[in-house]
Amino acid sequence: MRWVLIAVTVCFTSVAAAQSTPAKKPLIATYCVGCHNQKVQTGGLALDAVDPTRPAADADKWERVLRKVRRGEMPPAGAPRPDPAVAAAFATSLEESLDRAAAASPNPGRPAVHRLNRAEYSNAVRDLLAVDIRAGDSLPVDDSGYGFDNIADVLSMSPSLLERYISTARLVSRLAVGDLTIKPIEERFLPLKDPPTQVPAVSAYRRSVNRLERTSADLPFGSRGGLSVQHYFPLDAEYVIRVNMPTGAASFGEGIHGDVVHYDARLPVKAGLHTVGVTFQKEDSKAELEGPAARRNQAEGRPAQLETDPLPALMDFRLDGVKVKRVDVPRRPGANPDIAAVLITGPFNPTGRGETPSRSKIFVCRPAATKDEDPCAQKIVSTLTRRAFRRPVTDSDVKPLMAFYKNARQDSDFDGAIQTAIQAILISPDFLFRVEKDPRDVSRGAAYKVGDHDLASRLSFFLWSSIPDDELLRLADQSKLSEPAVLRAQVRRMLGDPRSQALISNFAGQWLQLRNLATLKPDPETFPQFDESLRYSLRQQTELFFESVLREDRSVLDLLQADYTFLNQRLAEHYGVPNIYGSHLRRVTLTDPNRAGLLGQGSILAVTSYPNRTSVVQRGKWILENLLGTPPPPPPMDVPELKPKSADGRLLTMRQQLEEHRANPKCSGCHSRMDPIGFALENYDAIGRWRDKDGDSAIDASGKLPDGSEFVGPAGLTKLLLTDYRDDFVRTVTEKLLTYALGRGLEHYDQPAVRAIARQAARENYSMSALVTALVESTPFRMRRTPGT
Amino acid sequence: MIITKKSLARRTFLRGVGATLALPLLDAMVPALAAGATSAAKPVIRLGFIYHPTGAIQNVWTPAAEGVGFEFSPTLKSLEPLRKHVNVLTGLAQVQARALGDGNGDHAREGAVWLTGVHPKKTEGVGIRSGVSVDQIAARHFGEKTQLASLELGTESPSLAGGCDSGYSCAYTNTISWRTPTTPLPMELNPRIVFERLFGDGESSDPAALGARLKQRRSLLDYAAGSIDRLETRLGPSDRNKLSEYLEAIRDIERRIQKAEQENASPARKLPVMERPSAIPENYEEHCKLMFDLQVMAYQADLTRVTTFMLAHAGSNRAYPNIGISDGHHSLTHHQGIAEKIEKVAQIDAMFVRMFAYYLGKLQSTPDGDGSLLDHMAIIYGSGTGDGNAHSHHDLPILLAGGAVKGGRHIRYPKETPLTNLFMSVLDKAGVPVEKFGDSTGQLQSLSEV
Repeated sequence: MRWVLIAVTVCFTSVAAAQSTPAKKPLIATYCVGCHNQKVQTGGLALDAVDPTRPAADADKWERVLRKVRRGEMPPAGAPRPDPAVAAAFATSLEESLDRAAAASPNPGRPAVHRLNRAEYSNAVRDLLAVDIRAGDSLPVDDSGYGFDNIADVLSMSPSLLERYISTARLVSRLAVGDLTIKPIEERFLPLKDPPTQVPAVSAYRRSVNRLERTSADLPFGSRGGLSVQHYFPLDAEYVIRVNMPTGAASFGEGIHGDVVHYDARLPVKAGLHTVGVTFQKEDSKAELEGPAARRNQAEGRPAQLETDPLPALMDFRLDGVKVKRVDVPRRPGANPDIAAVLITGPFNPTGRGETPSRSKIFVCRPAATKDEDPCAQKIVSTLTRRAFRRPVTDSDVKPLMAFYKNARQDSDFDGAIQTAIQAILISPDFLFRVEKDPRDVSRGAAYKVGDHDLASRLSFFLWSSIPDDELLRLADQSKLSEPAVLRAQVRRMLGDPRSQALISNFAGQWLQLRNLATLKPDPETFPQFDESLRYSLRQQTELFFESVLREDRSVLDLLQADYTFLNQRLAEHYGVPNIYGSHLRRVTLTDPNRAGLLGQGSILAVTSYPNRTSVVQRGKWILENLLGTPPPPPPMDVPELKPKSADGRLLTMRQQLEEHRANPKCSGCHSRMDPIGFALENYDAIGRWRDKDGDSAIDASGKLPDGSEFVGPAGLTKLLLTDYRDDFVRTVTEKLLTYALGRGLEHYDQPAVRAIARQAARENYSMSALVTALVESTPFRMRRTPGT
Repeated sequence: MIITKKSLARRTFLRGVGATLALPLLDAMVPALAAGATSAAKPVIRLGFIYHPTGAIQNVWTPAAEGVGFEFSPTLKSLEPLRKHVNVLTGLAQVQARALGDGNGDHAREGAVWLTGVHPKKTEGVGIRSGVSVDQIAARHFGEKTQLASLELGTESPSLAGGCDSGYSCAYTNTISWRTPTTPLPMELNPRIVFERLFGDGESSDPAALGARLKQRRSLLDYAAGSIDRLETRLGPSDRNKLSEYLEAIRDIERRIQKAEQENASPARKLPVMERPSAIPENYEEHCKLMFDLQVMAYQADLTRVTTFMLAHAGSNRAYPNIGISDGHHSLTHHQGIAEKIEKVAQIDAMFVRMFAYYLGKLQSTPDGDGSLLDHMAIIYGSGTGDGNAHSHHDLPILLAGGAVKGGRHIRYPKETPLTNLFMSVLDKAGVPVEKFGDSTGQLQSLSEV
């Protein structure tokens, strides 16, 4: 390993630089010190006590000054202000000094020891052993900080978590090797379906729609309803696939109304991951829907769903798409075939461990004779340990693991003995924790470039939420990964790899708060249309959209301005877009500029709403926080309530109530920024549908920010964000991505890096790859500081 | 989508735990039934802490009369049949949950302070710090006696994205249990995982197989501990801190294994029975009841003597369609004086209390020694907020249930009496020696006579 030491240059303010700066001192004395002095200390800031010609000495304070002046927030409105050009020159000069100082004496920060979070654990298990069962789902949910759940400081360890690690390690190792002693277990899959309802509006809505759709891309065209699930079959053996169907007329789920009838298929299955499908034939159902029974019901005014005479329908069991069994099932005409649950039970009568991707990944050698066993085991364990620990392994790593193997080999066969060593690897602190060790020869408080193996892990956990692959490890072994050209090529390769899907589910999912869709509970009385299909489609839409920007290497600005989106029939109806059919989301070019980019997407509009109404304030806050990086401070202690009625007893609209609220100077500081932004989105209701009226009052979607910029509606707001606020947006995306990449909150000393990344990305029109590459090349990503000072 | 793995191993059905419950016999760490039942001398006192978020509507919570024979208030009505086991305590406060110069974030503080009595550090991530919580102090004391020192349970998924409350880390609102001032404990909400934690995840209850599993676990833990030693030699103190959390967790489980090995060797093992839950019930009340059932099971089998349960997060904005309330709870508590909203909050309060009554009823009907489980418990129910609308932290809604303390009273304490004084009293009843806790000033008056 090579450690590159950075010489600490103390004297960075050259004479030339000092001369080129405008006179900062008099400017500060004139416009700032009146409030920010040692006596008054407004905002905790005393600018008469610090030297503007040496900003690096108080970089934390000057970064605050820079931000406020850049945004025109200081000096405050009403106070004497310098000419804008003078203020801009001051800011530029201040920024240059800070950046120069940072370049000369970088402070990359020091990420803490980092426990793998649930997503990282799942992916690491998948990539290490080819066991793709989302193993982390059985671990307790991780805490989050700074908006992300991969923040090292808050990822703690507890006895209950360790117990889950031990249990999961046992399960994973048994599946990976194929443990012949695995007893049959039952695994139960429930279809994505709406829970039973007692709300009449919801029942009425559900009766009014009867979607005859393929429910999964894994199911064949022409099928309808049904269920498709992925299941890991541990051995070559027989398994029973059971389909439970409710028999009661009003059944919505197993166990609620009790009565189910079941249909079984018992069949041999090879070990490994397979797709199990249960489908119904569309032709049959169509005939029945339009057939005599349905017509009779309609004529008699009876809802077809209440017909209880059983009619035959055909149900197919499928394994990896191939039909393995067909049965007749009774079904109510007009109603979708209703699956309560699919249960997969096994293994029965196992015939062998089979040949699985896991086994070929693990068994890199096969002992031909007893004397070959120990060397082969040594090779297997070393290979796995290197991948799991993400670095070259030593004797002291492998020896205790070999002890597990040797001990187990006394009572079990070779494969079984390897299995116990794998279980131990999976609970090793070297696997579960990312530990970056400081080199011995770096002095306290000094910055150093992290070694190639740590760099490989930083890259893979950032872009894949997983362990490095063999190529990254090989380049690190050769000390080549840190070479600029190699590093850039690797970033491109990694972004193109399917594993970068992790950036969408983990980074975008948290940055945009898409994960909160899962627990969103709109009021069923107000929004009977909000069903599971919509919840799923809304999230898919934004994920596919983010993915397209990433995969097509578009500009991050396209996140706001793209004129396309992804829709299926459910979403198209939701948004009022015609001629889109089926459950599959596909790319659609938008004609309505209001739906362009993220701000027109129901996912974001819904997670920023209350269960029964929109929230102007929450939407405004969401944009300030997540798109502009200027989160409003928490409201003051004695915040007055909104008053729904005026002094003379008139009912006030939300806009009028908030206007009154803003008249209070305590509230106006923040609400004058939040409210106009939120109002621009008022044409979207709490689940993201377009509306022209809220109740009886027409929507007024115009707004004006304290800096004077005016805009109307979503398109107007988006345009403003792309022009006057473009730099703030780019900076915010950069800050969010950097927080996620480093797994720590950003500090004032990271700001020069944030600016450097944004500047570098600007040269390539903020393309995703340029942004990620610039980030990977930045000081905090490439370097680390030793503890002390 | 994967919901459950159910062992198909031998099943045994027993009565007495609940008519509809049945569970497979599972291997790891199967306990002896109610060890407490065998000791005729002095029954074991178990402690429970049940958290009710965001305060209560006070005028329908607080009974009008004080002393014995008071009339139960509308919110507390469902506790009437359990009168002799319940005390209503009025006037207690948590001064440390106030801002004290830290500005907003009363809901983060109501969670972080409730069982700790310590003012938490305001931070989104770095350096989270509160105090050791009372349940964990008790857990440390009883931990030697049972397989699990304590159980920490909840019903609500942690907020998955975004900040939690005004610059406070989500850790402060997601949990009320703190193992150390810097180690918050996660609340488990999945009944299946709780079940596996109590009764193991194996396939055979054969003592030989169980013994082998325990031995293997022990060697795994030895290996992990050894690896930490090797890893630590080159790390700085702050990095070592994280790994020492891991080491502590290892020690905790080792202790449990030792206990399980002893019980495994005991010839007369009888098992309580309950079907392994398959998923988190969609209906809130069913979910709550299942979590309470699991707590009863844990006590009954003497797997633990301390449980902590959050009915919802601190500052939770959950809606309760099960009782026809579709607005978020937190939003409703800022009711602007609107009668309809106040009524809805009161309904939520009453539903929480009803869940509590279900739990007490269940404990009462479960025999333990010469009485019932409820006879041998002290359960504190309540909130770290008094009035959710005002974000106040005095006049907290607090109930004390269980036979450890004479019940049937409504006691009013002088203003600003620390809630932690109640913890002092309860720890004393349970025989846990503590000199001071959080901001306590001594034990509560009038709780001494049993």
